[in-house]
Amino acid sequence: MTDQIREQLSALLDGELPRDEMGLLMRRLDKDPELRRTFGNYALIGETLRAPGGRIAAPSLAARVSAAIGEAPAIVGKTSTAGPAATVELPQHVALWKRPIVRTALAASAAVTAVLLIRPDVTQVAQLEVTPASSFAMSASPTPAQSQRLAGYLVAHSQFSTPMVRRNLLSSLLAADPGITRVSYEMGQAP
Amino acid sequence: MKSREPGDEDAGLPAGTEQSDLELVRRAQQNERGAFDLLVLKYQHKVIKLVARLLRDPTEAEDVAQEAFVKAYRALGSFRGDSAFYTWLYRIAVNTARNSIASRQRRPLDYEVELSESEQNNVAARLKHDDTPEATVLSEEIRQTVNEAIELLPEDLRTAIVLREIEGLSYEEIATAMDCPVGTVRSRIFRAREAIDRALKPLLD
Amino acid sequence: MSRAAVCVAACLLAFSARAEDDARAWIERMSESLATRNYDGLFTHSTGRQAETMRIVHRVDNGKSFERLVSLDGSGREIVRTREEVHAYLPDRRVVIVEPRGDDGSLLKSLPTPGPALDRNYQLAVGPKGGRLLGREVRVIDVRPKDIYRYGYRLWLDEDTAMPLQSIVTNGIGNPIEVIRFTQLQMKDRIPAHDIEPTVDATGFQWIRTGRKLAAMPQLPSNGGWRPLRLPPGFRLVASRLQPIPGSPMPAQHLIFSDGIAAISIFIEPGAQTGPRPPETSSMGSANAYSTSVHGHVVTAIGEVPAATVREIANSVVPVEGFEVPADSPASSAR
Repeated sequence: MTDQIREQLSALLDGELPRDEMGLLMRRLDKDPELRRTFGNYALIGETLRAPGGRIAAPSLAARVSAAIGEAPAIVGKTSTAGPAATVELPQHVALWKRPIVRTALAASAAVTAVLLIRPDVTQVAQLEVTPASSFAMSASPTPAQSQRLAGYLVAHSQFSTPMVRRNLLSSLLAADPGITRVSYEMGQAP
Repeated sequence: MKSREPGDEDAGLPAGTEQSDLELVRRAQQNERGAFDLLVLKYQHKVIKLVARLLRDPTEAEDVAQEAFVKAYRALGSFRGDSAFYTWLYRIAVNTARNSIASRQRRPLDYEVELSESEQNNVAARLKHDDTPEATVLSEEIRQTVNEAIELLPEDLRTAIVLREIEGLSYEEIATAMDCPVGTVRSRIFRAREAIDRALKPLLD
Repeated sequence: MSRAAVCVAACLLAFSARAEDDARAWIERMSESLATRNYDGLFTHSTGRQAETMRIVHRVDNGKSFERLVSLDGSGREIVRTREEVHAYLPDRRVVIVEPRGDDGSLLKSLPTPGPALDRNYQLAVGPKGGRLLGREVRVIDVRPKDIYRYGYRLWLDEDTAMPLQSIVTNGIGNPIEVIRFTQLQMKDRIPAHDIEPTVDATGFQWIRTGRKLAAMPQLPSNGGWRPLRLPPGFRLVASRLQPIPGSPMPAQHLIFSDGIAAISIFIEPGAQTGPRPPETSSMGSANAYSTSVHGHVVTAIGEVPAATVREIANSVVPVEGFEVPADSPASSAR
């Protein structure tokens, strides 16, 4: 069932595919360029949602990389059949609360749309009115990111946070964190 | 990394994507080429965006991105997994862009404040007359198509994919949030992607 | 219901109300300690990707607060809050970003007073006495959001000083996204002024400074002429100001909304002459930002709330009816 295979692809992209299913899927991917394209499209969808607009890679890039690598020698150096075991210590996630509050919010039928539609507070009637969800208004063309402006905004914003939150925000600014996976913003990060 | 004190409440974070990337890296290190291909497919758009920002001449972005990926592949043997794969790839991409600029003896485009207004106009003009103008127009169409497709999705599919792609929640967290089994989450996200992919097909074929 | 049952019910209600007051009181004590005391400490800041050690020095002098934060490993970046300004030293970029200090440095203003409306949007709870951390007695305070539009907090407060020895920011499902934990903390009677001075050698750095004197702005309504149509429940406009932008005579409009715990800023600035930018999502630690274009302006929503929240808010910003969206030419501001 190709649907089943594509669902595995989707799970693989999210890092949610059990390891024992990866082997078969990888072999299929090696043989089927259509499947590889699908994987690439799924990745593109995510990128577009997080950072709509801007450049995307030309469809030929992956093939060009593959061709260029074909001329390169196979990987030498540190390889181990056991995998990168000892030094990789990824934290396990632990829920702090047993009963998630968010369940009540999402249980209400209207709230399922709440992910994309935030209901206005009725006590702020003077300022707000209910409007239907609108799609993105502006078309965009790519220009360079104004990353240090965002830092300025963050600092300006932090002045109005509570003292603890301000400290958290400024600490985040101090932390060098280039590996933000879902973000298209690269401010002040040194290689 | 940091040491754990006994009795400390574990303050870890979900690491699904990172573990999956590491698994792909491990396979690539054992010369499973398909594994590295997947990593390229996954991160190519991010790398292109990053590199295009750093280069004065965005038409070189494809070449520099390709070079970065090849460098990463060659250096894969030395990647030990003590940072996320993308973090490591990011640094390689930035270095590759820097070197390419240095070899052309230009100043890196780090902060837009360094550009005078006329220079900014030049960059924009060049983008409009890009070697690959289709790439620019295409990305805009892709954005619109994806957004329209998302709006048309049924509630549960849309919620699932938004929680995954924008909030970065794991399947388990989404299952908790949506009060459904993990298998349902996986299926909903897949169906959402399928629907959007169908809408994209005419654009990308 | 029998009288006894009613009484028990009433007592339980009173108890829980007192517990909420209790939690609020602890949070106020914490803010007061952070803002008004002198201290020098080391803490780790982690987001799961990496942990960094930082030092914080906080000094109070003549009713004004000063602060220095420095990263001890990794970036070497440093932030200093002086009397008038905030300086962010980024040695990896050889740049110093200077922002005017939004507050006047006075302590009273920097203390938030979370109102009773807080309970509508958060569930507050205080743990029992007897917890310990860093060899100190602590109380654990839970601040749980009642919806998915905001983050939660779990705080380990020192029993004696209410300083947050450990604080965890959590997402809507209770999973941690940022942890700040002190490894060393000294409360001091006084801090020498030179401890607040930056240690980065900034010779040759570029100073990115916003303009001192802003061009006079035309009269703006109190919300600056823009408003978000959609905001999570409980957020109110708490301030409206102008944010100077480097290299531009026209400042950005800055609106600040708060629900008593979290704050969200919306910045509206004239768009680039080269055309609208593509929308962008960014995140740093527990802060998320989303930028998009509206009517030739760039709207950025930023705050310590989930990414989907800032995205929705930014996308809902519109000019107030009847308000002429200002053209971004210096001529219009010459009054």
